[in-house]
Amino acid sequence: MNTPKSRHPAELGNGRTPLLEARGLSKNYGATRALDSLDLAIAPGEVYCLLGPNGAGKTTTINLFLGFVAPTGGQALIAGLDVSTHDRETKQRIAYIPEQVMLYRNLTGLENLEYFAALGGKGALTQARLTDILVEAGLERPAVDQRVSEYSKGMRQKVGIAIAIAKEADALLLDEPTSGLDPQASNEFSELIERLKDRGVAVLMATHDLFRAKETGTRVGIMRYGRLVTELGTEEIGHADLERIYLKHMHD
Amino acid sequence: MKHIVRKEFTDVLRDGRFRWCSVLVGALLLVSLGHGWVQARNAQQEHAAAQATARDHWESQGEKNPHSAAHYGIYAFKPRLALSFVDEGVDPYTGTSVWLEAHRQNDFLLRPAQDATAAQRIGALTAAQVLQHLVPLLIILLTFGALAGERERGTLRQLLATGIGRRELALGKALGIAGALALLLVPAALVGAAALVVGSPGPAASPLARGVVLAGVYLAYFTAFLALSLAVSAWARSARTALVILLGVWVVNGLVAPRVAVDLSKWLHPTPSALEFARNVEREMASGVEGIPRPDRDALAERLLAEHGVERVEDLPVNEVGVYLQESEEFGNRIFDRNYGALWDTFERQGVVHEALAVAAPLLAVRTLSMGLAGTDVEQHRHFATAAETYRRDLMRRMNGDLADNSRTGDTYLAGPELWEETPPLEYAAPTLGWVLGNRILSILVLGTWLVGAVMAAAARVRRAEVT
Repeated sequence: MNTPKSRHPAELGNGRTPLLEARGLSKNYGATRALDSLDLAIAPGEVYCLLGPNGAGKTTTINLFLGFVAPTGGQALIAGLDVSTHDRETKQRIAYIPEQVMLYRNLTGLENLEYFAALGGKGALTQARLTDILVEAGLERPAVDQRVSEYSKGMRQKVGIAIAIAKEADALLLDEPTSGLDPQASNEFSELIERLKDRGVAVLMATHDLFRAKETGTRVGIMRYGRLVTELGTEEIGHADLERIYLKHMHD
Repeated sequence: MKHIVRKEFTDVLRDGRFRWCSVLVGALLLVSLGHGWVQARNAQQEHAAAQATARDHWESQGEKNPHSAAHYGIYAFKPRLALSFVDEGVDPYTGTSVWLEAHRQNDFLLRPAQDATAAQRIGALTAAQVLQHLVPLLIILLTFGALAGERERGTLRQLLATGIGRRELALGKALGIAGALALLLVPAALVGAAALVVGSPGPAASPLARGVVLAGVYLAYFTAFLALSLAVSAWARSARTALVILLGVWVVNGLVAPRVAVDLSKWLHPTPSALEFARNVEREMASGVEGIPRPDRDALAERLLAEHGVERVEDLPVNEVGVYLQESEEFGNRIFDRNYGALWDTFERQGVVHEALAVAAPLLAVRTLSMGLAGTDVEQHRHFATAAETYRRDLMRRMNGDLADNSRTGDTYLAGPELWEETPPLEYAAPTLGWVLGNRILSILVLGTWLVGAVMAAAARVRRAEVT
């Protein structure tokens, strides 16, 4: 089976430059091929969901875009800049939300946001503006000044979204962001992603959640053994189709 | 960067463990500084009073044979330098006063360690000990999780995803922790400086310059510890591993290395026991040694008679007894120089071993420099002992000379108060800062190497720190 190439946004006719792009991106850990020649292009306003079992290469892809690991081959590009050679510039364009947003327990939600926003180059935001961002991200106003040690996982994920909003990131890298959230919290999270998408943010989300991928994504890529085995536009298929196609690829 | 510094500073201050530890260390530091200062001032006042009394006794001897006055002797007290309240060094072991008398180079007296119980020896806490042992421990407790903890909690990924560089992050953390430590150390340093300015317990020997250099030495030591802790935190897979490694370093640095240094230096350069030393001096004094024969009184008399062309010692223009006594002194001095010189040289060689071993434990370099700057190291003890012995020899020469020049053999000669009064008191000038630092080049180099090495190790390890 040939590895499918992600359609370049230009090919979709929207004429937009991809914000996130992988060109023959590969990563080996010793003898293990964790990622095999991935080609991917995500344009502004697109939500690309990577589906696949554990070890399929989803998190490795995100780590390569974050520059946390060096590629064995190929390039990870953010807004046309190679992550390997433009670490700071590329990171200033992105925000990252992991499966569990880890914050400083001794600081309040507001102080955490202030800190991460400042590190992301947004030092001039007022406390009022930061509070508004936290509320926009779905945090109850009284929780803003509570120490994070009192937060639930859902609340921490919302702070993660707030960090992305405050940073005015062009691209969002999400690694299983709704894992472990209750359905309501997951729904709220998806709505926030939807809003960011509407603002033109490019989103790459690794997930196991087929339902969420179909609801939130504009495209879905299915990975297995480090390779992108198929790619689908979510408007072209229904929930049942996606599940069927996914299971088919898992059992091939 | 300033955001990291501020956040780290806030985080540390809100950490209950830091608050408790810093209150404890701060209290110990202030109490030990205060206690040391009061003790140093009291000791200095007691020494001054005792010195004045000794001088008074010397001058109030009345009419007496000068040689009897030489036997009567006088006490000399090693002055406590201003910074001795920070680090009492070897003073409790070497003693601070010496009795200067005829025919003898005495050991120092007033050695508190000699009379102390084992518990007192362990429990004696000085500001130097707090700075050398407890502050590094506090640095370790604040720093071990700086990067390893962030990695374990998952916050390192999020931090680095913001675009901040690893080195910038590590430097910001180091400065934040340093800022929190400054809240503890700066007031203590100000108290120390105020103590120097307001009421220096000892005589001036560039106290402020010595204080500034001492502060620099401790700053270098703490920075090296901070950098080393950061390097280990960046390298270790977990915060717990980093803590265990750093506590191991602390134990080796503070407990094992000093013990090993003492044992190794004694093994390489053994010194005789006090009893052996005293017996050896006594034996050589009784019979002389090759090249240093005992003075022969009959030969001396014959030489004097020949020199002055008379036949009886009673006819000599000088008192033969006075000349003989001085010759005996000169003989004794050569024996003392031979024995004490060898002993001091052995101590010096032991000190070099100690300083060299600082490559394995920076505490050894810091301790040497701290004692040196406080004026309480072996070198400055030797400096005073040499000055006191020079004074003793001059005093004996003066007494014997008076006897020889102002009386004839067989006379019953008594000198008056004029002689005692015109004998100058011991004027001791403590070594300069340059002299102290010049003697401690090796320690300065080793401490500097530790500082540069630790900073380079931190930079290298931080650059390669794993994110997950």
